[in-house]
Amino acid sequence: MLKSVNLQEFRQKTWRAMDGRVRSLTAGLGLHELRNLMRGDPPGEKPNPRYKVHTTSFLFHIRPRYYEAGSTILTHTFRLGFFTSFFFFVELFTGLILMLYYTPSPEKAYTSILELANNVPYGQMLRDIHRLGAEGMVIFTFLHMLRTYFTGSYKKERTFTWLTGVVLLGITLFLSFSGYLLPWDQLAYWAVTVGTSMADAAPLFGNEVNLLLRGAPDIAANGLLRFYLLHVVLLPLAAILVISIHYYKVSREHGISLPARMEEGDVPPEVKKAAKQRIDYIPDLITNEVYYVALGLLFLVLGVTIFGYHAPLESIANPQVTPLDTKAPWYFWWLQGMLKIDPAAMLENLLARFGIVIELGTYLNSKVIMGIIFPTILAIVLIMLPYIDRNPHRSLYKRPWAVGIGVFAVLVLVVLSYMGTPQFGIEMEPAQRIIQDMTPQEGEGPLDRVPFHELQAGSYEVNAVQPVNMCPNLDYGCPEFEDFFRLFSDRVNRAIQAGDLPAETQALTVIEDWQQDLKKLTLRIVWPEEGKTKSYERVDYMHTERGSE
Amino acid sequence: MAKETPPSQEEKKPVSRREFLNFAWLASLGFLSLSVAGMSYLFAMPRFKEGEFGGMYTVGTVADLPETGSAPENYPKVKFWLSNTDQGALAIYKVCTHLGCLYNWVNQENKFICPCHGSQFTSEGQYIQGPAPRSLDRFVMQIVDPASGEVLAQTDESGDPLPIPDDPAAIVRVDTGARIQGEPHG
Repeated sequence: MLKSVNLQEFRQKTWRAMDGRVRSLTAGLGLHELRNLMRGDPPGEKPNPRYKVHTTSFLFHIRPRYYEAGSTILTHTFRLGFFTSFFFFVELFTGLILMLYYTPSPEKAYTSILELANNVPYGQMLRDIHRLGAEGMVIFTFLHMLRTYFTGSYKKERTFTWLTGVVLLGITLFLSFSGYLLPWDQLAYWAVTVGTSMADAAPLFGNEVNLLLRGAPDIAANGLLRFYLLHVVLLPLAAILVISIHYYKVSREHGISLPARMEEGDVPPEVKKAAKQRIDYIPDLITNEVYYVALGLLFLVLGVTIFGYHAPLESIANPQVTPLDTKAPWYFWWLQGMLKIDPAAMLENLLARFGIVIELGTYLNSKVIMGIIFPTILAIVLIMLPYIDRNPHRSLYKRPWAVGIGVFAVLVLVVLSYMGTPQFGIEMEPAQRIIQDMTPQEGEGPLDRVPFHELQAGSYEVNAVQPVNMCPNLDYGCPEFEDFFRLFSDRVNRAIQAGDLPAETQALTVIEDWQQDLKKLTLRIVWPEEGKTKSYERVDYMHTERGSE
Repeated sequence: MAKETPPSQEEKKPVSRREFLNFAWLASLGFLSLSVAGMSYLFAMPRFKEGEFGGMYTVGTVADLPETGSAPENYPKVKFWLSNTDQGALAIYKVCTHLGCLYNWVNQENKFICPCHGSQFTSEGQYIQGPAPRSLDRFVMQIVDPASGEVLAQTDESGDPLPIPDDPAAIVRVDTGARIQGEPHG
């Protein structure tokens, strides 16, 4: 009996059996080959089994077999497209989990977010990552587009890829925007009201689009459900489809562009050859990608933990009250900034100087021009860019106009975005502005960030009390309250110096012990105007367990 | 140079049975798609209910109106501000003509100010400044005789303020279904 057991043979058989199972799972890579991959060694079998994976495996068949060495230089692409899709997958994954606890109805949406944040293990963290990933996706989509523009990579055989990229930019913005409404807080409700109202300005179909989106004249249960379905079904499906087309072109048709300096003009043949050298996806590029995925996940986790990024949540949506400083999501600020410009009025004023009086404003108001016509032109220019820019060169030095226009466009975008913030061009009483900046109606201001124990009952008047040593009876003083009070005093004094407030202005911070563990905070500015005394104040309550309300 | 024959004369192929049927199928599918698009549009378009916002709303009697020249009163459920000015009374739609925010009455400045983009309007809803393209929209207001139910006066087509009669018992009501667009400013 024992004689028949040949250990050597048994081990070989076991090995072969295991190797066979592994090969069927890895689309042809055996155990030795996997080890070679991990070590970065050349393939151990002939023909190269690594290429076969790309034809046998579904997931690998959409990945490239190789990239040209020149196109993998970090400073050429910065891996922006890679990270954009990385964030998209993060969104898919976290979004699916978040759906477990979310109910898209006005009665339950807000409480389900509270439940998620307070009563679900890792709920707040997942929501934060989902939100941070969304911001990341918008930022990286935009940067990816800028990179493609400046390296001239949209030219020649890549025109169609650029077109799908522009579509993806739109889908990304709408994905992010549709998710904005779902928490059903004041921020969400009014940002989306403002955003959808921009569609209202479109001639002929604007009102219909708005009704279709909102499901009613204003946003309510129907609107929330529609935005939810757009966010979790329609737009992700569209994104997956267009991303696949976009990526297929890159991986299977034309690859990533080479830097212009390795392709254009008098390039020494050895440089050209080195640039065209193939770097295989398996094992080199995939190793790199695993590393970048780890880096991206580290960034997200650190972002929501150590760096303290939190998805904002304000008080529950109130369709009756528009909070002060309502603004669209930041990536639409440029649009909101544009809406503050009235080109028709500007043209009228210009013509009036030459004695020509026309009334353009009756036909073309700022909403139509800046909210619809201009963005439409912008979208068309972006889509048509490869056909408008006929310059065959890709090198930055040979396309001064394109570079100039690109830099100019980015600057304009930044300036318009600044103009879109509520601090720009919205007339508000100075007293109201100061108090709104100290403790905004929604969200957190400097006063709300002062720790509870530093709030000592008392009445602190600007200029009568100096922001030093304000709490002598506390062992460690109250540095953060002093910082707040210094800021408040500075703002009031600057307003007085600028003449916005009269010199007799009184500005007060009043702190009262209201109940056990609850303090009442009052900011009040009193000033004389036309013989009358005017005042503006805001009252906040702060609980020891919680931020201010 | 040899003359090239235009492609039309090259070879005129007759429509085959398969080609005809393919076109027929495609055309019918195209028509079906159009119908489905139309149906989806009608399906997704919201419907309005009578009786809520959109119907006739009775404010009260003339005596109940805010004093002439005082701050406008807010009627949140039916979405208007009731303003009683020297020229008469107005029911002003409470949504800003700019981007749909709800503006507020700021007593200290004696005007409506929108918190979103800073458009400003007088107590009569007249545009003062800001990005709004036109003055505020108004609803048709009616003065009704309490005894006979006869409409004594009604806001005219231009939406101007409605002079209030002396009779304190006359009933004031607002048709929130009849909105008059504000005047665009030049």
